[in-house]
Amino acid sequence: MFDQILQFVLTGVTVGATYALVALGFAIIYNASDVVNFAQGEFVMMGAMSAIAMSAGDGLPIFLSLPLAVLVTIGVGILLQKFAIAPARGASVVTTIIITIGASIFLRGVALLLWGKSIFAMPHFSGEQPIHIGKATLLPQSLWVMGGAAFLVLGVHWFFNHTTHGKAILACSCNRTAAKLVGINVGMMMLIAYGLSAFLGAMAGILVTPITFTSYDAGVMLGLKGFSAAILGGFGNPMGAVAGGILLGLIESLAAGLISSGYKDAIGFIILLLVLFFRPSGLFGKATSERV
Amino acid sequence: MALLEVEALTKSFGGVTAIADLSFDVPPGQVYSVIGPNGAGKTTLFNMLSGIYHPDDGSIRFMDQGVVGRQPHQVAALGVSRTFQNLQMFFNMSVLDNVMVGCHLRTRTGLFSAALRLPRIKREEKLSRQWAREALAICHLDKFIGQEAGSLPYGVLKRLEIARALAVQPKLLLMDEPAAGLNDTETLEMRKLIRRICESGITVLLVEHNMGLVMQVSDRILVLDYGSRLAEGTPVEIQNDRRVIEAYLGGEVQYAL
Amino acid sequence: MRRLAGLCLLAVIVVLLPILFPDNYYVTVVGVTALLHAILAVSLNLLMGYAGQISLGHAAFFGIGAYTSAILTTRYGWDPWAAIMAGLALTGLVSFLVSRPILRLKGHYLAMATLGLGIIINIILVQGEQLTGGPDGLGGIPTLSLFGWALDTDLGWYWMMGATLLGVVWLALNIIDSRSGRALRALHGSEVAAEMMGINTTAAKTGVFVLAALIASLAGGLFCHQQSFISPDSFNFFFSIELVTMVVLGGMASTYGAVFGALILTFLPELLVVFEDFEVMIFGAILMLMMIFLPQGLFVGLQNLALRWLNRRRSAAFGAVGE
Repeated sequence: MFDQILQFVLTGVTVGATYALVALGFAIIYNASDVVNFAQGEFVMMGAMSAIAMSAGDGLPIFLSLPLAVLVTIGVGILLQKFAIAPARGASVVTTIIITIGASIFLRGVALLLWGKSIFAMPHFSGEQPIHIGKATLLPQSLWVMGGAAFLVLGVHWFFNHTTHGKAILACSCNRTAAKLVGINVGMMMLIAYGLSAFLGAMAGILVTPITFTSYDAGVMLGLKGFSAAILGGFGNPMGAVAGGILLGLIESLAAGLISSGYKDAIGFIILLLVLFFRPSGLFGKATSERV
Repeated sequence: MALLEVEALTKSFGGVTAIADLSFDVPPGQVYSVIGPNGAGKTTLFNMLSGIYHPDDGSIRFMDQGVVGRQPHQVAALGVSRTFQNLQMFFNMSVLDNVMVGCHLRTRTGLFSAALRLPRIKREEKLSRQWAREALAICHLDKFIGQEAGSLPYGVLKRLEIARALAVQPKLLLMDEPAAGLNDTETLEMRKLIRRICESGITVLLVEHNMGLVMQVSDRILVLDYGSRLAEGTPVEIQNDRRVIEAYLGGEVQYAL
Repeated sequence: MRRLAGLCLLAVIVVLLPILFPDNYYVTVVGVTALLHAILAVSLNLLMGYAGQISLGHAAFFGIGAYTSAILTTRYGWDPWAAIMAGLALTGLVSFLVSRPILRLKGHYLAMATLGLGIIINIILVQGEQLTGGPDGLGGIPTLSLFGWALDTDLGWYWMMGATLLGVVWLALNIIDSRSGRALRALHGSEVAAEMMGINTTAAKTGVFVLAALIASLAGGLFCHQQSFISPDSFNFFFSIELVTMVVLGGMASTYGAVFGALILTFLPELLVVFEDFEVMIFGAILMLMMIFLPQGLFVGLQNLALRWLNRRRSAAFGAVGE
């Protein structure tokens, strides 16, 4: 029994690490620009798919296609900000939601056009020999996922708390006008924020795809669950989003294993509803109130 | 008996005390003003009087009915209406529709009657339109009927908010800085409007920074400082009150009455 | 009667089209779908456009109506109309229970909560195989009969949907032009001011939420009997988004706009099929461009463009005269 639970925990943390990266990407964009980016999951998909496409057949060696894929995705993120989000500044919540949903559909359409509906695999970084922990097994790739995610999260934390650019982005989210007044190039900060978010998505994609495979619509559920995780952790709190992601992965895995695997996907959304109903500011978020 | 009785009202936000142990009575049929420096808690007071905030302690009684614990729409049903410091206009609606919303409490049809367009709906629409026009007339806004609220200048919108509040036919009207952002001519019009409203039998509770307006239009004045009652009395009494002068008015000033 | 001029025009169009183009696929087949979409769009427009409450899960109520009627008629032999009524009752109950906690939320949070709700209900439809037939769907659903006439032709369903749409539009127009409609628009404009005018905003939001759900449920009930086969794919997140797009395309606070948006979005894929592999990509691009450049919707956007173009011509004419 304990081994079973351990297995679920290991799977859960692996999946959770992916959710954490997606949630972190959401949080960064939301903090910087008050936009809920429904295309976040597509960054994950693009990272993985472009890497696979570039090294397919007689293509580039994997150690080249991976960083290139990440760069391509960062580019997509920046283009999204510049041509879809920035022109619609000041638009209503519904409008921006539909714009990002449109972007997600667009990106999926591009993937569909380029690569069809097939499911694609990616080679594991360091082999597929399972590691045994008691009676539970762990793929080496899982360690890559967990380690990679931890490294990225720490990096983002350092970026926002210890670099000028990072703090500048936070300043933009607190008070855009004030940020401009002190000389911050808000436009550039936005591009950096979106680029960073896309970077995290792409990294999540190439880290986890060896285990989960990918296809043109792999980003949809991932994006939605990443969003749930961000809300669980407290929207606006990047580290909370990370915690939310891991927690969501764990709960999902345990519930799927111990209760029912068919309803696994529902777990994330039930948690989402519970959080929104009873504690909208999430586990670690701050409550806000409106001035009348 | 006073129309509004406030006793030991207290409200804090986090560590900041906005209103501290405040008590005062508002007699009916008067213009009663509340003044004080920014941050003295005036809007917080209004928000508690209208049921938007709940006080931490104390009581509010309007026409001998408890206000604390009621939802804003229930407080409105008691006979209290208000305008807002940050204009809360329905910009998505026309001038007439805005004021007709004020007639909500004077009519009764619901979603079902509306959907099936029962005869009582037509009757109510006619009545509401008439009441709305009357309220607009009091505020001298007749010529704007037919326009969209979104296309009106600021000064007109301030009066439109008042017309909307008047359509409720309240017994007490809370006016939160009605003269803010108005020029001298508009302020004079506002002063006359406030007196017209009072003469029609509605008690007005006014928050204002424009001291000239306050001294000229008020019957009684309450001075707040850091959320507490500093002084209360007629305009003449307040102008000559040492403590008020020190805290707020800054030197002896005479305002024409 | 001026109020209903638009409705009369709509009625004339709905009636004339199949008479003028009797065997046209686009009228009788695609048209039925367009009419169905329009019913759904008008209901969502009441909630989103007038009351200002975002819902990304409207397909869920469409689904509850469809599946309840389908299950009761196929597995328990119920009369189709009774089954549709049962669907309405269940939808009313679910939407009422859910409305209280959900409608306390605003903006993004409300959007996500409705999204979550929609997805959960869709998953239940997929997973509840015993009852719902699971991902493979549920077939053999009997058709409806009206006063003894069985609705088993495309044209018959066209009239049924058309009549329902006209009825729903009539209801919507009535509500908007009343105390309740003003209350809804007021709470959209400023919730706190609406409260101060004596409007119980919680009750108002719940009322319109349940009403919109009921209309969607009715549409679902009709849909399952028209199609005779349904699957969870028709009631998923993507369809909810399509409905939101229809409402927004048409211009939010406009009932006719919603009908217009539904028409466009139903016929658009027919046009896009020409582009084959590019279809999804182009759809996404259109959504983005539409929201960036015409956020107030096509209806209003086109009106504005036309006005601006007319003004430019007028001033050009004056300019020439002035020279």
